[in-house]
Amino acid sequence: MEGIEQWKSEAEQRIQQGIEYVLQIPPVQLYSAAAVLVFTTLLFILVRLLRRPKSNTIVLSGLSGSGKTILFYQLRDGSSHQGTVTSMEPNEGTFILHSEAGKERKVKPVHIVDVPGHPRLLPKLDEFLPEAAGIVFVVDALEFLPNLRGVSEYLYDILTKASVVKKKVPVLICCNKTEKVTAHTKDFICKQLEKEIDKLRTSRSAVSDADVANDHTLGTPGKTFSFSQCTNKVSVGEASGLTSKIADVEQFIRDNVKP
Amino acid sequence: MLEQLLIFTRGGLILWTCKELGNALKGSPIDTLIRFCLLEERSGSNSYNYDAPGAAYTLKWTFHNELGLVFVAVYQRILRLLYVDELLSMVKREFCEIYDPKRIDYNDFDETFRQLRKEAEARTEDLKKSKQVGRPVNDSKKQGHVKKGGADGGNKKKSEAKGGSDDDDDNRAGHNKLENGHSNGHHIETDGSRGLAIGNGKENASVNVGAFDVSKLQKLKNKGGKKNDTAVSDSKGAKADPKKKATKKNRVWDDSPSQSKLDFTDPVENGNENIDVVAANQGESMMDKEEVVSSDSEDDEDEVGKGSAPNSKKKGWFSSMFQSIAGKANLEKSDLEPALKALKDRLMTKNVAEEIAEKLCESVAASLEGKKLASFTRISSTVQAAMEDALVRILTPKRSIDILRDVHAAKEQRKPYVVVFVGVNGVGKSTNLAKVAYWLQQHNVSVMMAACDTFRSGAVEQLRTHARRLQIPIFEKGYEKDPAMVAKEAIQEATRNGSDVVLVDTAGRMQDNEPLMRALSKLVNLNNPDLVLFVGEALVGNDAVDQLSKFNQKLADLSTSPNPRLIDGILLTKFDTIDDKVGAALSMVYISGAPVMFVGCGQSYTDLKKLNVKTIVKTLLK
Repeated sequence: MEGIEQWKSEAEQRIQQGIEYVLQIPPVQLYSAAAVLVFTTLLFILVRLLRRPKSNTIVLSGLSGSGKTILFYQLRDGSSHQGTVTSMEPNEGTFILHSEAGKERKVKPVHIVDVPGHPRLLPKLDEFLPEAAGIVFVVDALEFLPNLRGVSEYLYDILTKASVVKKKVPVLICCNKTEKVTAHTKDFICKQLEKEIDKLRTSRSAVSDADVANDHTLGTPGKTFSFSQCTNKVSVGEASGLTSKIADVEQFIRDNVKP
Repeated sequence: MLEQLLIFTRGGLILWTCKELGNALKGSPIDTLIRFCLLEERSGSNSYNYDAPGAAYTLKWTFHNELGLVFVAVYQRILRLLYVDELLSMVKREFCEIYDPKRIDYNDFDETFRQLRKEAEARTEDLKKSKQVGRPVNDSKKQGHVKKGGADGGNKKKSEAKGGSDDDDDNRAGHNKLENGHSNGHHIETDGSRGLAIGNGKENASVNVGAFDVSKLQKLKNKGGKKNDTAVSDSKGAKADPKKKATKKNRVWDDSPSQSKLDFTDPVENGNENIDVVAANQGESMMDKEEVVSSDSEDDEDEVGKGSAPNSKKKGWFSSMFQSIAGKANLEKSDLEPALKALKDRLMTKNVAEEIAEKLCESVAASLEGKKLASFTRISSTVQAAMEDALVRILTPKRSIDILRDVHAAKEQRKPYVVVFVGVNGVGKSTNLAKVAYWLQQHNVSVMMAACDTFRSGAVEQLRTHARRLQIPIFEKGYEKDPAMVAKEAIQEATRNGSDVVLVDTAGRMQDNEPLMRALSKLVNLNNPDLVLFVGEALVGNDAVDQLSKFNQKLADLSTSPNPRLIDGILLTKFDTIDDKVGAALSMVYISGAPVMFVGCGQSYTDLKKLNVKTIVKTLLK
């Protein structure tokens, strides 16, 4: 008990001394010291807020069965292992690309997310898009024409999402399964997609001004749509998941995730 | 013999397949299983049947929710393997011990698997020997399991129906606990598998239970002898009997010549003098308005806590708090039960059909069993989150419901886009048809109505009034005409005068009424519409399941073409009359797999809107 009392009295004394000392300092010094303190804190906060860290997330999206999971594992391990089935959940991983693993220079690990393509799992895409630095849209070049409508609608939805348009996220349209003989070429796919999106534009924008489905409209009205009209960069590439020809995809990733 | 046993992650990577059973699987059974069963929240059922040209498989699965693994066994349907369930659980146990998220190949598991298989086979041999003695006991067991096994997943593939009847083979071969109730929903794509007559016939008991699984949808798509379905439906309830009362001269739906003149429509001269109230512009249809979503407070969490607290009885407050902080080791079924029961009751108070709620809860339980509870979470909140996920998944449409896009596509091909409105009596088909016409008109689509309700007095006048108010052409032939022919002529007329859309109104009919359903089927098959819209009211309760399943069944059975048209979409009406009892939407979507395309929420032309999935889920779980 006495110890506490003693400490209390000592503390009070110290406080008294401190206050006396502070009162002794000329006010100008005091105010300037306080001002400097406040200023530095503000600066610190501002810098923190404004400096948006560049994210290193790449999102793999596309219809179900286009080959996203295989691509994911190719990027990660360099092989497609024993095959895949329809994904029920997203595959996420932060790793150094398999092809760069042996290099000496320091490579920043990339965060790759493979979002399932099944239409019932569409909301999962919205979870990952806001933090994406780049989107790889995988298209099945083999079964392209039967799925043309679904592919173009999915692509249209991605290209008109608010987060994609605002941040100008670059998109790579990757034509997969090109090792097969009957696979279409990337130019053909590109043209067909542009035509379909053109049609979609007219029907979707006809819905109304308060369009609940899409946040933005694509391209310039009046002219036929082409990917060069998008504010974000849209490029086309080829790949073959099963035979590990994924150079285009890797190039895209390296371009967008600065080491 | 087992065809194949696979282990794969939920993200889709195959971790291990048995190399001994190196048979390549015909078709793609695993993908179909995932798409039409596991993702459709039917993972609570026991097995899944898959048919492909030249093969008929049954698939069984089990999950390991903690590690996110799925174990699937595939075997030929004609072989009834008793040991598969056991084998799967043993494999699960063993594999989880050697599983490592970083590892990709597990070749050492081959040896373990071989041993496990021998063990399982040996065990069932013994069991079989003892079963031979107790065979009569199985009869009664079968009834019980039939009731339970009603809800198997099925695939949506188009195929011909199997000729086999349901009950014979069950009596012939030994009763198999695993097989009962599983034999529905198979499709065969070619005639090849007709030979598998011994294979499971459709387990029509599922109709008994009233549980309709989407599997049957495609299975029923082909003719080939599904007549036994109708026989079973007797037990379902009294069929509508049009020949009941002798006092009223009933309209009879067959080809007998009609009795007297029943057409009391005013002669045309008077018609034009009626006051034409033109519905100029009532404003924007609610389809185009953005839904104002009010953000609810998170007080539902507390309510759930209070609800499940009395259930946790002996646990005590302290231990449950401790568990929620420390995180329990693994969730057991018994832990999930009280929370699931509470959820099921809540769903049922929101007017979800009882069996749908039951199946959903089973599916959620299957996906949560064995999962580790994260710390600082209660069991109830985990269950709630899983259920919410499942509900969003079910209500999210599987295909695009952009009607305008379809209309444009049909326009390019220079044919009219035909929509047929079907449903039971009094749900609001004609009213909502007018609303859809109004909405389409607002988007510069030219519409034409076809009055194929030639039965109900006043139906044609009703449509005529709507058409006059909306100023759109109407094709009518008066009463007592064959609706199928009227529709056909209407479509021809539309092609001639260049209408973009034809909206066909049909008479309301009860799902049990055989002749009426036959007439409907004839209409659909003759005209091959682009969209068959089932109109259902939101006030319906458990009957929604019955209505939709019977409609689909009859449309499939009574069609003559190999690919019968089924219900493509749902129009939910009278949505403004239910405050928050929105469960009918869930029941209908779950049972039929068709998306809800429109929601009617009032009785004026603008009261038509889209279904907002998030709001519905929130309301259901409140």
